[in-house]
Amino acid sequence: MGALQASFTSFTNKHGLGVACFIGLTVFFWVVFLIVLPQLAMVDFSFRYNLPQSQIGGANDVYTLDNYAYFFQGNDGTINTLDIGILVKTLVAALIVTLIDIAICYPIAFILAHSATGVAARLMVIGLIVPFWVNEILRAFAFRVLFGATGLVNGIGMNMGLWDVPIDFIRADVALYSGLVYAYILLMIFPIFNAVEALDRNQIEAARDMGASWWRVHWRVVLPIAKPGIASGATMVFMLTAGALAAPQILGGPSNLWFTQLIYQWFNQSANWQRGSAYAVILLLVCIGFVMMMMRVFKVSIGEIGR
Amino acid sequence: MNKQTGGGPLAVGYSLLFFAFLFGPLIIMVVTAFNSSSFPRITPWECFTTEWFGVLFGNSRLMGGLLNSVVIGFGVVCIAVPVGLAGALALSELGPRLRATLYTVLITPILVPGVVLGISTIVFWGAVGRGVGAGYDSLFFNGMFLTLAGQVTFVSAYAMLVFMARLQRFDPTLTEAALDLGATPGQAFRKILLPFLAPAIGSAAFLTLLASFENYNTTVFTIMSQSTFTTALASKVRLGTDPSLSALAVIIIGITLIGAMVNEAQTRRKDMLRSGRAAQSRVYGNPVLSVLVHPLSVFFLLIAIVGFLSWQGSQQDAGVCKQQILDGKRARQEELLEAQRERMKAQKAAEEATKPTVSTQPASPSAFGGAFNSLAPKAEPAPAESANPSPFGGAFNNLTPTTDD
Repeated sequence: MGALQASFTSFTNKHGLGVACFIGLTVFFWVVFLIVLPQLAMVDFSFRYNLPQSQIGGANDVYTLDNYAYFFQGNDGTINTLDIGILVKTLVAALIVTLIDIAICYPIAFILAHSATGVAARLMVIGLIVPFWVNEILRAFAFRVLFGATGLVNGIGMNMGLWDVPIDFIRADVALYSGLVYAYILLMIFPIFNAVEALDRNQIEAARDMGASWWRVHWRVVLPIAKPGIASGATMVFMLTAGALAAPQILGGPSNLWFTQLIYQWFNQSANWQRGSAYAVILLLVCIGFVMMMMRVFKVSIGEIGR
Repeated sequence: MNKQTGGGPLAVGYSLLFFAFLFGPLIIMVVTAFNSSSFPRITPWECFTTEWFGVLFGNSRLMGGLLNSVVIGFGVVCIAVPVGLAGALALSELGPRLRATLYTVLITPILVPGVVLGISTIVFWGAVGRGVGAGYDSLFFNGMFLTLAGQVTFVSAYAMLVFMARLQRFDPTLTEAALDLGATPGQAFRKILLPFLAPAIGSAAFLTLLASFENYNTTVFTIMSQSTFTTALASKVRLGTDPSLSALAVIIIGITLIGAMVNEAQTRRKDMLRSGRAAQSRVYGNPVLSVLVHPLSVFFLLIAIVGFLSWQGSQQDAGVCKQQILDGKRARQEELLEAQRERMKAQKAAEEATKPTVSTQPASPSAFGGAFNSLAPKAEPAPAESANPSPFGGAFNNLTPTTDD
């Protein structure tokens, strides 16, 4: 509390009382009413029964673990392999997408930071940003056009005689993975770029002069510098991929659900908001836990994210 | 390309491949907007048409959603930019420990899945609404209000990041100097810090507008029974696709490219003027050219080109070509039908023909034989070829080579 008061006084001295009040009230409103209380309300809600409107707040409105129990055991007490399987599949897929993004973005970020110069570098930056001004839904739609049964990839492949029957890329999740990799490229490139840009070029040249191979230069000199950037980009890409809803809805196969789609179904098709909230809490906890674990493994802190 | 630090053919090749991946899908989508085929595709190409733009503007749900999106976007910009600014200023003044905590709290809305944000928003405001005894038609259950609340939560964090980047370059001694010279703290804030942050306010407003407009994951929960542009678009894509969506992509990409080019003209001009070499430059020194590369004239030139192209497009009529394609399809269908009819006839004939073979009458298998033979004189009288299952196979193949389909 003392620290808060001290900083408020420093604000008042520096920017005036009006500004200090504006900052204090706005940040308080943001933190309390937009971030913390809604999350708490969701957690609270997830421990309640799905009651009809008239009984809410009545005698039957008590806390229960039912919604979480359903995720683990289903209705009949056996292990709910379907939902757990979907969660695991979502996490594994998000991890794969993140790894692919690291692999294709690291070289581009390095080229952008150290090899490209002048007009080429400017064109590259514009070329990176422009595709991401296009709506997320339309980007997913573009992949559907590309990979559909009568899409371009099938058309070319069949014309060249590589295969005779249209391949169902949608069912095989090829379209989904490409769409997700595409969707978050920018979030991976810019953190890595920011980190790699800080590297002194002389270090690379010195390593080259001493006879290090390119592979060794990247492993020993560039990667250690790029690590915080990669961690920050990977965190964002992983969280957003695991929480993606539009791309799986548009590009996912019919029998192949994403965990967010499961939540969506509880809300919009089964009208069971409580269970949907419980699933949302599970998704949130699992994602945060996974990211924390990865950060512990790679020794980076959350303060470095978003820079 | 700088050779010393890894430039070279490999880097160039990789960059080209990478940008092909980035732009390829968009280019293909743009091209499909002009194909008259009712499913968005390039192969087979049917007719060049601009009718999908008309279909797009005729979609009332999308257009209604567009209005909602504009209203929400405007509201989000008005709220999220000041909130983000307050967050960034607060972070700049706090001590290191408090700062790290607050930063973690404020940055989480970006990392939390949008689905979770949307759910927590509707649950929280629903509980508040029930708490104050408001009905379902009140503000707390209104899709527009909930969407505004849900989007501001994380969009403000984007604005905050923009302001933080700008604040890092602020020299605090400027404020101190103003205070020493007798300015009140409020004056110093208005006259020193705010003007310094002005460019960041512009880019934060743009970024927040874009983020609000594009958002799907949170909005799809908070909008309730209404729809924004993006949710209407998503439900259209999920239910069934037609090239009017590609037409929409053409419009959005067009706007984006115009924006990027005008922005580029602006930055170049600024750089040139700041460097002071404008008078010597070949382009900026020349009075005609320097007017021509002014961002405003670039803008109007591009608008004029777009206007001309869309006028041309609206005059274009694909009716004749489409009729041809339709006729072609019909003819093909007739052909297939005819072929099938013949095949059935042949099968029948063959069945009849097998009977006489059993009763050892090879000379004249059926009444049809002679008639077909006159059409295809080279064919042998049927039963001579025992290898062919249908005695008339050869004859029919000559007439209709595509019977297999």
